[in-house]
Amino acid sequence: MKAHRVVRGLLQNSSFPSFLMLVLLIILNAIIQPGFFSFQVFRMNFMTFTPLILVSLAQATVILVGAVDLSLGAGISLVTVVMASLMQDSTLSMVLVTLLGVAAALFLSLFNGFFIGYIGPPPLIMTFATSTMWFGTALLIMPTPGGHIPQAYYMVYGKTLAGFLPVPVLILLVAVAFCLLLGRIKAFRHLYAVGGSERAARASGINVAGTKIFAFFVSGVFIALAALCVVGQTATGDARSGQGFTLNSVAAAVIGGIAFSGGKGNYVGAIIGGIILGLLINIIYFANITSFYQEFMKGVIIIVALLFGAVPRLRRELSHH
Amino acid sequence: MSNHVQPRPLSTSIRSLASNQLAIAVASIIALFIFGEIISPGFLSFGHLMSVLRLSVFLGIVALGQALVVMSGGEGIDLSVGSVVSLGVCISSSLLLGKDANIPAALLGAVAAGFAIGLVNGVGVSYVGIPPLIMTLAMASVVDGLSLIYTGGYPRGTAPKLLEALGSGRVLNIPNILLLWVVVIAAATLVLFRKRWGAILFGVGANGITAELSGINVKRFRMFVYGICGAIAGLAGFFLLGYTGTPYLSLGAPFLMTSIAAVAIGGISLAGGAGSYIGAAIGCVLLTTLSSILVSLRTTEAVRQIVYGSLVFIIVVAYTRRKKD
Repeated sequence: MKAHRVVRGLLQNSSFPSFLMLVLLIILNAIIQPGFFSFQVFRMNFMTFTPLILVSLAQATVILVGAVDLSLGAGISLVTVVMASLMQDSTLSMVLVTLLGVAAALFLSLFNGFFIGYIGPPPLIMTFATSTMWFGTALLIMPTPGGHIPQAYYMVYGKTLAGFLPVPVLILLVAVAFCLLLGRIKAFRHLYAVGGSERAARASGINVAGTKIFAFFVSGVFIALAALCVVGQTATGDARSGQGFTLNSVAAAVIGGIAFSGGKGNYVGAIIGGIILGLLINIIYFANITSFYQEFMKGVIIIVALLFGAVPRLRRELSHH
Repeated sequence: MSNHVQPRPLSTSIRSLASNQLAIAVASIIALFIFGEIISPGFLSFGHLMSVLRLSVFLGIVALGQALVVMSGGEGIDLSVGSVVSLGVCISSSLLLGKDANIPAALLGAVAAGFAIGLVNGVGVSYVGIPPLIMTLAMASVVDGLSLIYTGGYPRGTAPKLLEALGSGRVLNIPNILLLWVVVIAAATLVLFRKRWGAILFGVGANGITAELSGINVKRFRMFVYGICGAIAGLAGFFLLGYTGTPYLSLGAPFLMTSIAAVAIGGISLAGGAGSYIGAAIGCVLLTTLSSILVSLRTTEAVRQIVYGSLVFIIVVAYTRRKKD
């Protein structure tokens, strides 16, 4: 009887379909990617998975509060451009420019959060507009990809610490620690209340505008980490390097069971969603699909993933009738 | 049941036309032309005015589809229009191959492809419940991929004489395509404010639940609106080829942000259920004038992006504030 209830609970968990998909994809990847379980491949994979997981967490945070951020990709590009145009070879410069990059990411995210919190334009349109502004600014600073990222700086991203801990995984662990810390903060629980029902949240005395701004701040932290990863990965500033992250982040969050209506889902789901998307992109890459079809396949996969994300909702709707 | 939905009284449409926002838009166009004349003499000449209006037409056609989707409510928006315009250009040119006789086939091909893509958007939005912005954003990358696959990276073919005459020819110094736009504006206004279809569109956009209760199949209606938007974008690609003569892969990309900006400037409520096409058309002329100024100032693509983005940002914020007051 009890075992039965456990199984049913598992099946109804919002992360269950994504967990199932994760297992399936790991099997698929193990078949087509040579040496999938070796440490080298694990390390290489996480160099691309980590920024995906980070943007998934960033997007999940703002979706939870009932918003969305379509400027996240352009924001990452802008940060890489700012960093690559300012960085010098000295250690002091590297530290200062890193801090500046983080501050820039936080500023861009808070800019969205401030307007969405206090004035309340539709987040989709608002962040679409800022996305164009960030892209234009990045293009203004750097019309063609370039700038300078010292070798000593970008090499760090590919390093393995103490022989077993790749830097991208370390960054991910920092993000997870941040998530755990957030779980203990009262303001974070308000995120769910505001995302679930703004009116009810306001009626129970929650500072709605403040909570939204807090969500964008948290999202900004994840975006900053993702931008640092992209700098480490590409070793240049590029006004287009972040472009793909916007759609990927939304897809990853939706795959991870974060409800678009807000207030439902959790960070575990967002992390699983990011890994799933990474594995899917891996398959396109390793299945020897010509580059013309890759873009097309990515779009199709994301649409299929969105359909997949909608399945639990549709099933719920059907069971209500 | 659905006979209860009446066309809007004309007085409402005139009042919406006379709203402040459009007056500001028209004043801005005049101001921009005077400013243009100051920085580059000849800006205010009849010839340049006509060439600005001609460029506005292509944006205007795309903005018609965008306007319908936005009016249909449910946070409606179509981010795939730019990619569909590009695909329309590529399909048209490859079917035309410079021959007038191939025009019907090319027209049909571009419109049908756009319609099919729009319907897929519509199914995803209406029946599956994917937020329009996300569905159409994902569709944009699918359509970009389709264009690449279809052309193999190198679009082939050219526009035949007849299509070029339509896209870049003039009658009595007035661009042919501009005359076509006048017809489109009149037809769209008639359908929106005088026909039952327009009344249903506003009804669905303003309140989907009451529209459903009065016997309208809201999901199917919205799905078709996305289909129409795609078809119109495909058509715009066909006409655009008449202007450029030769196809390029990303000819449609600049139309995405500007079509949304035009709709917002035109006073079409982003919440759906209100607005007029004339408003969007005025928005198109304003944006094209602005882009012409930016070109005479020799600004880069970067500055143009910042200007367009800031414009939409300011409009959206101002609009939200006004709604709250």
